[in-house]
Amino acid sequence: MNRIVNVARMQLINKWTFLGIPAVILAGAFLVTYLIWVLIPDGGPTVYSGAAQAVMWYFLALGIQSLTLTFPFSQAMSVSRRTFYIGTVGLFAVVALAISVLYYILGLIEVATNGWGQNGQLYALGWVAGSHAVVQILFYFIAMLALFMVGFWFATIYKRWRATGMLIVWIAIALVLLGLVALTTWQGWWPAVGAWFVAQTPLSVSGWVALFCAALAAGSYLTLRRAEP
Amino acid sequence: MTDPGESTIIEIRNVTKRYKDTTALDDVSLKIDGGKIYGLLGRNGAGKTTLMSVLTAQGFQTSGEIRVFGEPPYENDRVLSRICFIRESQKYPDDFNAEQAFASAALFFSNWDKAFAQRLADDFQLPLKRRIKKLSRGQLSAVGVIIGLASRAELTFFDEPYLGLDAVARQIFYDRLVEDYSEHQRTIILSSHLIDEVANLLEHVIVIDKGKIMIDDDAEAIRGSAFTVVGTGTRVAAFTAGREILHRESLASLASVTVQGRLSEAGRAEAAELGLEVAPVSLQQLIVRRTMDPGPELSMNGAATELEVSP
Repeated sequence: MNRIVNVARMQLINKWTFLGIPAVILAGAFLVTYLIWVLIPDGGPTVYSGAAQAVMWYFLALGIQSLTLTFPFSQAMSVSRRTFYIGTVGLFAVVALAISVLYYILGLIEVATNGWGQNGQLYALGWVAGSHAVVQILFYFIAMLALFMVGFWFATIYKRWRATGMLIVWIAIALVLLGLVALTTWQGWWPAVGAWFVAQTPLSVSGWVALFCAALAAGSYLTLRRAEP
Repeated sequence: MTDPGESTIIEIRNVTKRYKDTTALDDVSLKIDGGKIYGLLGRNGAGKTTLMSVLTAQGFQTSGEIRVFGEPPYENDRVLSRICFIRESQKYPDDFNAEQAFASAALFFSNWDKAFAQRLADDFQLPLKRRIKKLSRGQLSAVGVIIGLASRAELTFFDEPYLGLDAVARQIFYDRLVEDYSEHQRTIILSSHLIDEVANLLEHVIVIDKGKIMIDDDAEAIRGSAFTVVGTGTRVAAFTAGREILHRESLASLASVTVQGRLSEAGRAEAAELGLEVAPVSLQQLIVRRTMDPGPELSMNGAATELEVSP
């Protein structure tokens, strides 16, 4: 247990990686968005921005980096693969939860200040913001976790099977997607699929993505167990 | 902490490691006792790093059994926490500097000596605040050497630790290693292909070639296990007849032959009588000789019959 906590502490030795850079991205994305809103003439409809996603995409890169560079180093620190995995994913989950709560709070402020005085929507995105507080936080949390796990999983594949592995995985993904599209078209399921998507709520989407995360988490762990630094 | 002396701390049985088209370790069995400095010697690509990787569970054997401190090391934090192995091509997190790498090591190695690490960094003139990926090859080696020494792990591996280090820095490493080892007994396994440089440090030598263990013996025993005789070709040929020859060299009428085995007093007297010079063989020469073919046979052209030669 102690070593798991130490893995998290090791990841935090350079404060910038897990804390500093996300904070800069958060602040930067907000500032740029705000300036754009100021420049847009007032009186128009509500202005949306996807800038809040920026930090989430950084976590995709972080997932890749945690594995390709920190994993070989953790091996030199005599840490087992299991300990490294739990410590790293655990730390990430804590950071993601903190940012999710922050997003929720920023969303509340956004609503209270009439979109930062500019009638803008950055954090309290219409579709999500109507839900219960817990659902909103869960939604952001799961989304960030999914991106991190995608990065982490791809990195484990690369680590073990290099470019060949990547190629096979991408071809497999493309084939599966293509197969699904073909099947849906052939069976005439498109209206049903459309209806299914429309019927999704933030909570149900969180559930599906959580399932996806769990599969990736298990996949990454099993791949990592046989990875060499 | 258990007593680092005498008892067997590493035991591997029939370990084979195959990569796609090469066999890096070929049915290796080995026992290593605690409390000594071992040299793991061999040519580049002989299997040194592979052996250390499987011992520390950083790599996986294709078959065979490994026990370190009595247990399989794979996914075993209890065993791993007593080991330190920084590979020659060790990767560090992209944004780390040496100071941060040392701070990490302090988290995981319970015997970590911060002051010692600092002193070593001064000795090696290592810039602590510069990002590791911007360091020179020698400075990168110094980071690994410092972690290896200051971790004071019960079982410490050094993987070709001198790469890129200049002669002064290498000497500093050897000196610090011996000093610290005398105060803090542990087991050290030093892999190297610069055999002469490390020969004096070693108490036990393991030579690996093409994935097989060639020599596994006390350094002292190995040093006395061969000798070279130099003199006129015919006399040398007569003297060495019937002995196990490791290497032959000749220049004009002179010949130099390396012979396996201990030279007895009688043999020594005999060589003196024949006017032959007898010289000890350095560890490096011996290993080179034993991993290569001996060379063409010397001709005896009848000269031997003129001499009364006892076998």
